[in-house]
Amino acid sequence: MVKITIDGKTTEVERGTTILNAARDLGIEIPTLCDHPELTPYGGCRMCLVEVEGIKTLQPSCTLPAGNDMVIHTDTQKVHNARKFILSMIFSERNHFCPSCQVTAGDCDLQNAAYDESMTHWPIMPNWQPYPVDASHPFIILEHNRCILCRQCVRACGELVGNFTLAFEERGADSNLIADLGLPLGESSCISCGTCLQVCPTGTLIDRWSAFQGKETELDKTKTICLGCSIGCGIDVLTRDNRLVRIEGDWDAEINGGVICEVGRFLPMVEERERLLTPMIRANGKLKAATWDNAISAAAEKITASKGNISGVASTRLSMEALNEFKAICDAYDTKSIATTEEFSAVSAVFDLAKSSGKAFESKIDEIKNADCYLMIGEDTTKDHQVISFFAKRQIPAGSKLIQISESPSGLDNFAVESLIIENNSQSAFIDAINNLITNKSGDTEKIAKTFKLNLSSLNNIVEVLSSAKIVAVIFGSRTNYDNAAAVLGSIISLNNQINGKLITTKGNINSVGASAIGINGAINIDDSELIILALGDEELSQNFSKKFEKSPFSIIFSSYISPLTANADIVFPVKNWLEQGGHFINLDGHIFEAKAALEAPEEVISCEESLSKLANVLKVKKQRSWKELVKETPAPVTIS
Amino acid sequence: MAKPTVASDWLAGCAGCHMSFLDIDERIVKLVELVDLRATPITDLKEPDKEGVTVGILEGGINNSHNEHVAKQMRARSKILVALGDCAVFGGIPAMRNFFTLEESLKRAYVETPTTDESGKIPSSPELAKPMLVRAVHEVVKVDLFVPGCPPDADIIFYVLAELAQGRMPKLENNNLMWN
Repeated sequence: MVKITIDGKTTEVERGTTILNAARDLGIEIPTLCDHPELTPYGGCRMCLVEVEGIKTLQPSCTLPAGNDMVIHTDTQKVHNARKFILSMIFSERNHFCPSCQVTAGDCDLQNAAYDESMTHWPIMPNWQPYPVDASHPFIILEHNRCILCRQCVRACGELVGNFTLAFEERGADSNLIADLGLPLGESSCISCGTCLQVCPTGTLIDRWSAFQGKETELDKTKTICLGCSIGCGIDVLTRDNRLVRIEGDWDAEINGGVICEVGRFLPMVEERERLLTPMIRANGKLKAATWDNAISAAAEKITASKGNISGVASTRLSMEALNEFKAICDAYDTKSIATTEEFSAVSAVFDLAKSSGKAFESKIDEIKNADCYLMIGEDTTKDHQVISFFAKRQIPAGSKLIQISESPSGLDNFAVESLIIENNSQSAFIDAINNLITNKSGDTEKIAKTFKLNLSSLNNIVEVLSSAKIVAVIFGSRTNYDNAAAVLGSIISLNNQINGKLITTKGNINSVGASAIGINGAINIDDSELIILALGDEELSQNFSKKFEKSPFSIIFSSYISPLTANADIVFPVKNWLEQGGHFINLDGHIFEAKAALEAPEEVISCEESLSKLANVLKVKKQRSWKELVKETPAPVTIS
Repeated sequence: MAKPTVASDWLAGCAGCHMSFLDIDERIVKLVELVDLRATPITDLKEPDKEGVTVGILEGGINNSHNEHVAKQMRARSKILVALGDCAVFGGIPAMRNFFTLEESLKRAYVETPTTDESGKIPSSPELAKPMLVRAVHEVVKVDLFVPGCPPDADIIFYVLAELAQGRMPKLENNNLMWN
């Protein structure tokens, strides 16, 4: 610990603490433009200069570690003069006219810094050098004229996402933000996660939807979780007058620490499906609008008549509450099967294994954030469960090694030390072979290389990397089409035990674990059912998968959106989408999250839970036990809490 | 003691700052009790008195030789010169043309607009003021008080004028400081 005094307040801080952080702990505000709590200190903007007794020149507090008995002043005339001078220099470059800027009136760190120094004008006028505007990206506009060269975006792209798309070219006044080696952003290696937008202190990186939609204080902010995949990243949903304005990663969320991907940030903004706005019943071959009461009675009648000959299928994007209501109805009316909408998923294999072993065998997300080797099997995590690929990619500069094994080329190929193409159905045998090589330190490597069509050097390298790594994160992409997922999983678990790895299976949707934990995970069996009850919520099924339901003689669907499925259905209920309903969800590593509603639903639309509960009431289904009890009783691959 | 005198004029701006001044509504009655409102674009007198005024106010940046003349005259005839609004303070919206050459801007304005037919040409009468790079007022003459805002809020304008009228220098900080 070292003792320091800032503006007359004395405190003790850990050795290595920067003056900036020590000041923040004391409640002393030092202005910054290039600093971000989640990024490595950079010392680029010089706004945080402070006076240190005994040192002749002003020092940047963001990079200066506290030394014992240091006496620091942050509020002297010399400091304020320096800040004003730095701001004058920044304003003299590029176009910082506030009235025509996107982030004006409180959302701009540059403007706020000038206000804090009571700057009424620019002592040095701009040099009128125009810079290009890059609007090539579908979601992000890069307005170079507003850039102050703070490099927060560059550091976020590299340090948080590990993508290293953004960089700076040239030096001094010619410095310019570029993507890759000077490509338009839309043609670059950008993966559209939008983390750069979230850290940009000025109006340089703008997103197309929220630009000019009002300042942040005029927006409503709802802290909730993303339902895009099974990770459950913390997000802030920003709305105005019941309209979605933008989605941001929640810096305080433990699981993702602020980063989110394209699926969470931008895809909800481009939702184009048409909403279902009223219940409908098929009469004389045509779907006609009906009241909720009539539609519920019609559904109840059909369910009663088809008892024992019903198939239930539920989306794993639904909340625990909705799934529990669904299961209660299915159980009471002896459904032949009760399955999920997951097209390819090894979740049931993972749960079967938990049942036979009786204990959780998977790790928590937190345990893989500092791994020095990432073994990714089956899934391209740059497309699905993307934030997991961020965790792996950002460790690469620290020496972490990535091994990718999948059926087809993946987005991780450029990042991996070894990237192997191995057919899904050979993966089990391949992992066994690797395991054998590691365990017995011998084996016919040439023969194995030949069998799996690999370079001998690749094979040796994988064995070497896996044997020498201290923490191996083993990521099994379970949303993959396997003939025998259990066999692949078995091999992975043996290997994982051998190398003392941290295993995580990616599951599928946000509530895949929750659905399995209350027993909704059987195989879809609808061939000779009289009736299908499909609780779809806002899920969009693939065309191929939707075809499975086409032959059904009668179907009751709970859906937010109009789709070929609802067009074919016999009774349709309009339900809330993910932004309109709250509820509990269990993510891939067993966290129980509570999602909050950020928007109000259209008038006739109610939540899936509520509509299923209406139906259960009319059917006189006995009150089911709570989902929490059911979850507690089921052996799960992860510790659920 | 005679009341302090106030004159104002507008240069390369949109008149919005003067409109915001009028937004002080009935407080203008109180103001004229305190000051003698002399030449302004909205009074009959158009040029500041030769014998000078206490406070001269300029809205807009300086984008031609005429504006330059007006600014210099106002400076010469006022004790305290106020730059009112983002255009006077920073150059503002008109200064966006500085990112292009003067030729490009004139061509765009007089020749290339969609409603201009083939007879469109850049006016060149010697009677017209000579267009130039758009400058903030303080780049041409010394400014004593900067009141940014696009436009400055009526409350801020009233605060500034009321302070000046009572012989005090207004302080633009915290909630009174706004660049947009």
